[in-house]
Amino acid sequence: MLTRRDFAKTAAGSLIVSLGARAEAAVAADPSNLQAWLEIRADNTILARTGRGETGTGMSAFYAQVVAEELNVRPEMVTLIMGDTDRTPDGGYSSGFLTGAANMRKVAAYAYQKLLELAAEHLNTQSARLTASDGMISGVNRSVTYGELLRGRQLSLTIPLKGEPVRFAPVGKSSVTGLVWAGMGGLTVTGDPPVKPISQYRVVGKSFPMPGIPAKVTGQTIWCCDVELPGMLHARMIRPATLGSTVLSVGVLDNSKFPTAQVVRKGNLIAVVSPNEWEAVRAASAVAASTQWSQWSGLPRSEDLTQALRAHPWGAPGASKGDGVEVQKALATAAHTISASYEQPFITHAPIGPFVAVADVRADGTATVWSQIGHLQASRARLAHLLGVPPEKMIVRWLDHAGQFGRKTFGGDGAEADAVILSQMLGRPVRVQWSMEEDFAWSTFSPGWCADIKGALDAAGRLTAVDCAFYSPHMFDARPLGAILARMPCGTVQPGGFLDAQWPYDKVEHCLQQVFAMDNIAWDSPYGGLRGNIMRTPGQRQQNFLIESLVNEAVAVARADPIQFRLDHTSDPRLIGVIQETAKAANWEFRASPGNDARRTGSDPITGRGVSVIVRANAYWVGLAEIAVTPSTGLIRVTKFIVGVECGKIINPRQLDRCIKGGIVMGVGEALKEEVTFDKAKVTSTDWSRYRILTMQETPEIQIVAISRDDHSFGTGGEAPNALPPPAIAAALFDATGANPRRIPLTPEYVRTLLAAG
Amino acid sequence: MPGELVLNVNGAARPVAAAPDTPLLYVLRNELKLRGPRLGCGMAQCGACAVLLDGREARSCILPVSAIVGKSVVTIEGLPNVWAEQKGLNRGSGQILHPVQQAWIDEQVPQCGYCQSGMMIAAVHLLARNPDPSVEEIRDAFTNTPPSPHLCRCGTYLAIIDAVRLAAKRMRG
Repeated sequence: MLTRRDFAKTAAGSLIVSLGARAEAAVAADPSNLQAWLEIRADNTILARTGRGETGTGMSAFYAQVVAEELNVRPEMVTLIMGDTDRTPDGGYSSGFLTGAANMRKVAAYAYQKLLELAAEHLNTQSARLTASDGMISGVNRSVTYGELLRGRQLSLTIPLKGEPVRFAPVGKSSVTGLVWAGMGGLTVTGDPPVKPISQYRVVGKSFPMPGIPAKVTGQTIWCCDVELPGMLHARMIRPATLGSTVLSVGVLDNSKFPTAQVVRKGNLIAVVSPNEWEAVRAASAVAASTQWSQWSGLPRSEDLTQALRAHPWGAPGASKGDGVEVQKALATAAHTISASYEQPFITHAPIGPFVAVADVRADGTATVWSQIGHLQASRARLAHLLGVPPEKMIVRWLDHAGQFGRKTFGGDGAEADAVILSQMLGRPVRVQWSMEEDFAWSTFSPGWCADIKGALDAAGRLTAVDCAFYSPHMFDARPLGAILARMPCGTVQPGGFLDAQWPYDKVEHCLQQVFAMDNIAWDSPYGGLRGNIMRTPGQRQQNFLIESLVNEAVAVARADPIQFRLDHTSDPRLIGVIQETAKAANWEFRASPGNDARRTGSDPITGRGVSVIVRANAYWVGLAEIAVTPSTGLIRVTKFIVGVECGKIINPRQLDRCIKGGIVMGVGEALKEEVTFDKAKVTSTDWSRYRILTMQETPEIQIVAISRDDHSFGTGGEAPNALPPPAIAAALFDATGANPRRIPLTPEYVRTLLAAG
Repeated sequence: MPGELVLNVNGAARPVAAAPDTPLLYVLRNELKLRGPRLGCGMAQCGACAVLLDGREARSCILPVSAIVGKSVVTIEGLPNVWAEQKGLNRGSGQILHPVQQAWIDEQVPQCGYCQSGMMIAAVHLLARNPDPSVEEIRDAFTNTPPSPHLCRCGTYLAIIDAVRLAAKRMRG
């Protein structure tokens, strides 16, 4: 690899710089141009553009830090434009922070080399003699700021790229339309510009504040729900009476009561619009009351879900990893074997703010959409496909909204399709605001699943082979509801094998992991049933629960300590390191589980502790749950949760702390409370009293042991922590009671049943 | 008839045209362009729409605008003036944020931030009742004060506790 100084000498291209500002759209249209990514202004401030959005995890701070680090400026000097399809270049998944950061890091590094070249010429010296600090390049006696170097001009630099914009294309097998997406990863900056060694970092590794916070705290932020356009109509949707009902007759609108309201219908998509939002709400409610829908009852009830999944003819696995023959042999000759089945109901993303979008579709076919989507370019491709216009005519702008936790990753789920369809029909800008009940009932879900595990232990209590088989409905159906109901073009991939577990225990000789897939529950119904989608730490969250539960069952068979057992089954120094550090910080007492005081009865709380591990995206995690459970009531209180993490170089300790705590809160809620319920016709958990998430009072004390390393680059800190609590809390319940829960959520009712079963 | 209602919002008399049954939230947002309170559940179960009504937290998504005539409404946009008055400073005399807002920034509380306007309103109401709340009292206030717990899906609860403690300390002086 080139050193920073060699690079300046050999860099291709001239020192000619372009003059004047370019229109933003033109800039973004050519992402191989540096200005599509980065502009250095005369006042030494820097404008950076990324196609990724801020999801609440602090990415807006991290991008500024990564850019500032390579350019040797303060992060306060960096302003970001995020997400907008007409003003930003790369456009991959918002969840792909690591790839987004890698892009920005390289772009900034390319730009920095060019600045050194210019400065060498300006200062009449060799670039090898130059140093840079705070936006100023210094030679022996003289200095020049970036702004002075570039006054009125911009760096002329071609950014090498690979990848392609998202588009709908006939790729592989597909459902519904024969079209699926391509280019979902967006553009990747290639080449190997010299980047600053991590050991020399001055900005990355510090707790730079998230830039958007002051505006949010003072009420200045323009949120997605705040967009207001001249002539805009407010829309409220009237959804089918059940998950499969089609419209028989649309209710009557009483214009004497609702003089400005209007009913709009396309297929089974029905809306009431009005320039007055409250009138739209009331009129929609009145029209809904007299709208007739067909009967439909094609769902299994949620309490019968596992039975329905078990009855499904799964066929061959969609994905498989490992050697089944060797695993079978090991199981056949094992001193001890484990065999168990696990399950989890549907859960959902449950943002605090329901979907909202504004669309302005013009007669000339151009359209602008304001969205909280996590993948703007995918949304643009989908919406253009839906309307039958070229993507170039479609602009999707990103604005803050409630955290979505993955459901917007594929650019489909949301109010955007409703909005563009209505705006096209009405010839006016339309704002579509879903209600919370609508959001709970009609957005996508993280599907319920069931699974079978087998484990083989030798006479010494060592785990020698494991077999995990995971069965789940579709996890990638992000088709927009509006398009489905209006019977307009939309597509999804066929359900496949989403095998996304990293196996942390390399000392276990034989491991077989298989994932079996099926369509959505009630796929054959008019709208494709319960649309399954990804949710924070997707796939791996569920599959890791299985792996870690298997390990915890093996720990129990071996009468081993759960920390020691894990250390004994891995040779990965990074995993060993974080487990040891965390155990030390927690004053871990090494002993077998269940504890000596374990009991299944009584009205006094009993304590328990449990362990889980996850390895994901260059990050190593261990979770230690401490709980108190009252056998007579079945109520579990998580009193403390200790998290150990080693995710390479930590970019921003404060924001990592926030992400981890938020993830643990979500994971504890998933472990104890969360469950989507449905009867045979519709979703019934449609408000916060029926879809219950963790409250402040239930939030445990959270202790974090974070290890930052200069010898490994960034890992993912925002995901994974929410996957830690379920297996650790389940193991803690076993530790406290000796009863092994093989289902989450661990509701009081389920725990009482479990303990009574003996 | 439209135009007959006059509200007292953030210390100013504001005539509004809304029908009397319109929830306060819609009036604040669409007529008065105050974007602090936001629509969450629309049924007083989450707290995203909370405002101060005569100093007490209220859920603006279910309050008909006619019911608040004659009462004082404060949104997060009005908190700096509330603090200025409390300290005997001139209204609008500076850009001094309410200590709760400043603590929210200093503790980096918001992640997505959608619920945080309501959280800050709940914090101001709590600190008016109890200037030095313990961690347990904060947990209790944000969970058990009617009509519902204040919910945060990003899981910022512990940061909120830190920020309320910081604000309380600064407000006690």
